Amino acid sequence: MLLNRKGSGARWRVRPDGPDKVTGKLAYLTDMTNPDMLIGRVLRSPHPHARIKAIRTDQAAALDGVHAVITHKDVPGLNRYGIAHPDQPVLCEEFVRYVGDAVAAVAAESAEIAEQALKLIEVDYELLTIVDDAEFALTGDAPQLHPQGNLLHRKTFSRGEVNAAFEQCAHVVEETYYTPRQMHTYMETEGGLFIFGEDGRLTVYAPTQHGFMDRMQLSRILAIPQSEIRIVSSPIGGSFGGKDELNVQPYGALLARVTNRPVKFHNSRWESVRAGLKRHPMKISMKTGVDGNGRLIAHQVRIIADTGPYATLGAEVLNFAVEHVIGPYRYEHVDVDGYSVFTNNGMSGEFRGFGGNQAIFALEGQFDRLAEKLGMDPWELRLLNMRKPDDPGPFDQPIAQTEGAKQVSAAMTASSLWQERGKHLGAEDEHAEPWIRTGVGAAFTMHGAGLGFGIPDPGAGKLVLASDGKIEAVFSYEEFGQGLIATLEQMLVEQFGFASEDIRIVIGDSDAVMDGGSTTASRATSMMWKSLQNLRPLFEEAVLTKASAIVELPAGQLRFGEGGIYAIEQGSDAHAAERLMTYRELAVAIGEPVTCTTQFHFPTSTTDLVGAHFLYTYSAVAVKVEVNQLTGRIRVLHQYHAVAAGPVINPQGFLGQIEGGSSMALGFALTEDAVMSEGQYVTKNLDTYLVPTIAEHRGTIDVHPIEDLPQEDNHGPRGIGEVGSVTLAPAIAAAIYDAVGIRVTKLPVDPEILLAASVDQLLEKAVSGE
Amino acid sequence: MKDSINPLSPLDTRAIPCTINGNDVSLHVPPAKRLLHVLRDDLAMTGTKRSCDIGRCGACMVMVDGAAVNSCLTMAYQCSGKSITTIEGVSAGGMDPIQRAFLEEGGFQCGYCTPGMIISVKALLDHNADPSPLEIEEALSGNICRCTGYGGIKRAVQRAIEWRKEGYESGND
Repeated sequence: MLLNRKGSGARWRVRPDGPDKVTGKLAYLTDMTNPDMLIGRVLRSPHPHARIKAIRTDQAAALDGVHAVITHKDVPGLNRYGIAHPDQPVLCEEFVRYVGDAVAAVAAESAEIAEQALKLIEVDYELLTIVDDAEFALTGDAPQLHPQGNLLHRKTFSRGEVNAAFEQCAHVVEETYYTPRQMHTYMETEGGLFIFGEDGRLTVYAPTQHGFMDRMQLSRILAIPQSEIRIVSSPIGGSFGGKDELNVQPYGALLARVTNRPVKFHNSRWESVRAGLKRHPMKISMKTGVDGNGRLIAHQVRIIADTGPYATLGAEVLNFAVEHVIGPYRYEHVDVDGYSVFTNNGMSGEFRGFGGNQAIFALEGQFDRLAEKLGMDPWELRLLNMRKPDDPGPFDQPIAQTEGAKQVSAAMTASSLWQERGKHLGAEDEHAEPWIRTGVGAAFTMHGAGLGFGIPDPGAGKLVLASDGKIEAVFSYEEFGQGLIATLEQMLVEQFGFASEDIRIVIGDSDAVMDGGSTTASRATSMMWKSLQNLRPLFEEAVLTKASAIVELPAGQLRFGEGGIYAIEQGSDAHAAERLMTYRELAVAIGEPVTCTTQFHFPTSTTDLVGAHFLYTYSAVAVKVEVNQLTGRIRVLHQYHAVAAGPVINPQGFLGQIEGGSSMALGFALTEDAVMSEGQYVTKNLDTYLVPTIAEHRGTIDVHPIEDLPQEDNHGPRGIGEVGSVTLAPAIAAAIYDAVGIRVTKLPVDPEILLAASVDQLLEKAVSGE
Repeated sequence: MKDSINPLSPLDTRAIPCTINGNDVSLHVPPAKRLLHVLRDDLAMTGTKRSCDIGRCGACMVMVDGAAVNSCLTMAYQCSGKSITTIEGVSAGGMDPIQRAFLEEGGFQCGYCTPGMIISVKALLDHNADPSPLEIEEALSGNICRCTGYGGIKRAVQRAIEWRKEGYESGND
């Protein structure tokens, strides 16, 4: 059944954070101010690659209203950050390696003074050869950007003898795919407020996707214990992976420490563009062979990922891409060789889909091309080679077995959109202008959730009957729009029977919560669900036992309900039950908070391959597009998404994640690219970086969740935060081919390749109005 | 960060007179200062959001004499004698049906574009009670939402149109 408000009935709920969002009352962390605050600014390198010969800050420091100018000499602890591998200088010492590299930072009484101070800082640079191409970076001719060279990480996977196997293939397709430097473009740019309190502790009010990781990294930089730092990290105006790594936090914290004043940062869009993370541009070369019946025999892949100047999660993104270029299909012989390469381009890093977007675009493209060679239906070819439920995962690792692959495939092929395929495709639509062609395409994804084997991936949560009678749900996860507050409230209401007014949700404050890991990798809903599964019997036992002594009924006859404790009804008249006592009365009677906690680890595979996943979400997407052969522009008309991710916990959130994710995929496919030239951003703001607008979303999007899981499965809901952003791009590429017979190898699609060969004749028709 | 000690001091000839959310005020700010920063930094009205600073994203939209404009492109002097309505003003009399529709349809996620989006919808519906899908597209194409893919927004606008036709007014929640 398609997901919508009406069909969801009472399960479609108003988000608890909604009223403050639609009225503008919600204070984001970048809306915060303090009467004593200074304004912080960072001086960033104008050069993609240079040696710093001297930094002179005297004039800037002498400017009236300037309270501090700091350089690398003022970093008391580790002058590096990076979630997985700290190699990015907080403030550069000897080299700058991209145009976002920070050289100095200023705190002043106003933004104008701070900016003037930046102009007064003199830095002498010796320009060095720019490494702006990842393949050049791997050659011996390229300057080496780091002591270990220009290779951040290599990841390989192989099985069988791929070279010999190609000899046996009836058909082989070789193609190279290119994907863009997509920008997260969270609407709220980076920023926050940094305050050292009278107790000497630092409070950081700044968006992040893992408060405890920020706390650890800042403690390293400031050389103060983690216990001296409090991270407040919600609410957030969008992130999509982009605020997972530190951004302005080191500068805010250092300047607050040096000046002993609160310091505020709020990046301009251009500063966000030049310093911030992007999706890794990848060049993916694939050679894939089948026998005469279409059975896959061999699959060889080489991935070059431009990771930019520093690591962040570049290695982990590559691991994910290597896993996902193998994907949900079975091959006898596989050989994948991936390289994540340092360059002087912009920072690449974690971004919704995490390397899967690039991988699936390439992999699905291979199937469409092979099917054509075979004269087969492209979906039939996929079905022939698709994994079975008990097959191992892409890295041959054991995975949680579900029917997801088959289910989404069956649903997609039964959709009216897919059925429509072939009816008027390619041919001129009698109702359309002669230069309009329509086509339908489809693609398939198996997307891993969680951080994968070998990476700490904790889950944790706490339920408290607080002294004031509120049921507190305490989690470390961050709300950046995805709706996890709403999802958590919905689970508490539906699974425990509380009323929403009974509940107080505490998130995103490292002083108040346990470390339940990052809010990334489509994991938060799974972790909250699992936490509540663990906590429910504990909390019932703890609270109902206390209530039992008070109301003098056996605990086994009591239950939670709206507003308080109820007796479990005997007989049929469930609504007649009277509330025995309110939660407030119970809390007062107990006299102290009742607390239950749980800690566990995200489910992982029994493997030794780092990054291999255990839980997967499956999706199949069909899309209809219109190609304008006069302009080369594409309009996405209708989309159908089948998503197998276990039970739908929050219908509005689920629909929003798939619709929103697919919008990101639409931009990835058609319009978005942060263009760089010789290490400089050509694209500096949203005038040239084209995020899809409402006008690009003319068509309908049908979202069909498939909720069944095997009876023995106890992992609950799978992640859906990323999968929506993955599958649409290859489906659009297939639909374009269906419409005009042109294969797309590079995203975003270049309109020029879609112009009709007969464009002059079409133009004549257009002008004459025929 | 303040350009004057009290930006809301009584009328004087050097100040810029205007109406903000129905209140007559005098802005003691440099004439070229952007309205966005006047609102956020001088008046502490942070419902109006800052995002691109170049008029491409719509997060900072306010109504000036009933028309949706980007406050990041509006200088203080251009507000002289004008009536400005911010998101705070839209909800001053209780939640507007448009806001209620966004809530019920899930027309927002992170919420950062939402104030600007609601301003654009209000400016549209105040002038055209029954816009076509193309007119809605035109009116909202200056407001970028990165989270929703616009599905919930389109549904919210339809709902708001229906409610307004039925006479649903502010504060009915």
